Amino acid sequence: MLQVNNLSAGYGDIIAVRGFSFSVEPGKILALVGANGAGKSSTLMCLMGLVERKAGTILMNGTDLSDMKIEARITAGLAIVPEGRRIFPDLSIRENLMVGGHIVAESVMSSGIDMVYEFFPRLAERQSQAAGSLSGGEQQMLAIGRALISRPQILIVDELSLGLMPKVVDQCYGVLDKLKSEGIGILLVEQNTERVLDVADDICALEAGNLIWSGTANEAQKNTSLTKKLMGVH
Amino acid sequence: MLYLELLFQGIVQGSIYALIALGLTLVYGLLRILHVAHAALFTLGGYLGVIITNATGSLALATVISMVVVGFVGMAVYKLAYEPLLSKPPFIALIASIALFIASEEIFRIIFGPYGLSYTTPPLQGYFVLFDGFFLKHGEALVIVLSVVMLAALGWFSTKTRLGVSWRATVTDPDMASAFGINTQNVRYMNFFIGSALAAAAGVLVALLNNLVEPSMGSVASYKALAIIVLGGLGSIRGTLIAAMAIGIIESFGTIYIGHLLDRDALAFAFLIVVLMLRPQGLLGAK
Repeated sequence: MLQVNNLSAGYGDIIAVRGFSFSVEPGKILALVGANGAGKSSTLMCLMGLVERKAGTILMNGTDLSDMKIEARITAGLAIVPEGRRIFPDLSIRENLMVGGHIVAESVMSSGIDMVYEFFPRLAERQSQAAGSLSGGEQQMLAIGRALISRPQILIVDELSLGLMPKVVDQCYGVLDKLKSEGIGILLVEQNTERVLDVADDICALEAGNLIWSGTANEAQKNTSLTKKLMGVH
Repeated sequence: MLYLELLFQGIVQGSIYALIALGLTLVYGLLRILHVAHAALFTLGGYLGVIITNATGSLALATVISMVVVGFVGMAVYKLAYEPLLSKPPFIALIASIALFIASEEIFRIIFGPYGLSYTTPPLQGYFVLFDGFFLKHGEALVIVLSVVMLAALGWFSTKTRLGVSWRATVTDPDMASAFGINTQNVRYMNFFIGSALAAAAGVLVALLNNLVEPSMGSVASYKALAIIVLGGLGSIRGTLIAAMAIGIIESFGTIYIGHLLDRDALAFAFLIVVLMLRPQGLLGAK
């Protein structure tokens, strides 16, 4: 389980997230929602050690990751599907997956790649092709697959549906559902509030770096003022 | 027969340019720094090649030692000259690089003397008769073979090994590479080691062909390599290799056919200007 306590994070003197606590349990989806600049992506990047943590603790199954290097965080069970996919366009599909398994043993990486190919047969068919030549949806599949190679317990997913066709978004969420059923906890950031309320188990709403609401997705759906706010309806 | 001879000369020269320019493009691809001091490492490689060959009688040993030593010197250049400047605008590192290159020429002059060094017994002085009337010097054959072997090894390393794939991923997107646990600092050291070692090999080969190393031998190499990486498309390895070969062959033919109009060293820039007018991003660069 990922347990985050009083997390503050930012860039130099700028504080993007202020004293925010949450937890992600195995087989559950926790969604962070809020407008642009709310601090959602900064929170995710901070968990991976890519944005400076100003205060608070990050615990994974009781182990304190707060000051640990990225390698240790991956070993502990975190992996990220970044916003905008950020696949390596000049590398082949297989090479992108190899990068995802950089810190694991060769055998784990190889079986991980086979597992991803089972998940996404289209990637298997085109494994030697440059990743930059894939469609947006295929690139998102590759980004998810790349994160799965290290066998994460918690998958951090930033803006899964960004720039994708509705049909492809459905496919990607289908994959998240499958991962969830296999016991992987998912921390999701998503602008598409309707979709989030549909797939998430729990919701944390952020505004200007502060937590303004947290609860189950069912509670969020019943909270009309919150849903209106999240959907930008006034 | 003349055409074939000119083509071979062009390939020999292009192979050397490729070895030099590759290091430059590797550094640019990773750090966006124009590493002018790379030519100083080429010169150092040449000096070490001559000195070690003269001391041991083995060109092979000299080549290996020169590549390893210059590889480590390249890492030191990164650590001492560039790393402290990475947070500054790129032109600061460029100024530092030019200063380092100029200083290195004077250092070579002070240490090794102003007139250069030669092999006491020049190695590989024979030649192959490929067919009637067509000769290829052993040294020139070595340039082609060694370049092909080293570039093939680099290609294999960068595509078939996990470390090589991580290296290419880091060149493409260092932040994302680090998100998967790749130590980008180590990749930078490796980048400088490989690029500098290739420059050293080129230095040894040029010293072999000319039987001379001198303090200023990096001058032409520095601006020619810059022209090649711009021509190839900044940061593009494949573009650099194609541009290096194209410049080598154009120089070889141009010297004979338009040498009375343009100096050999000006040909590379004339070609560069023509290509950039048609393709501003270079041969294989991204728009």
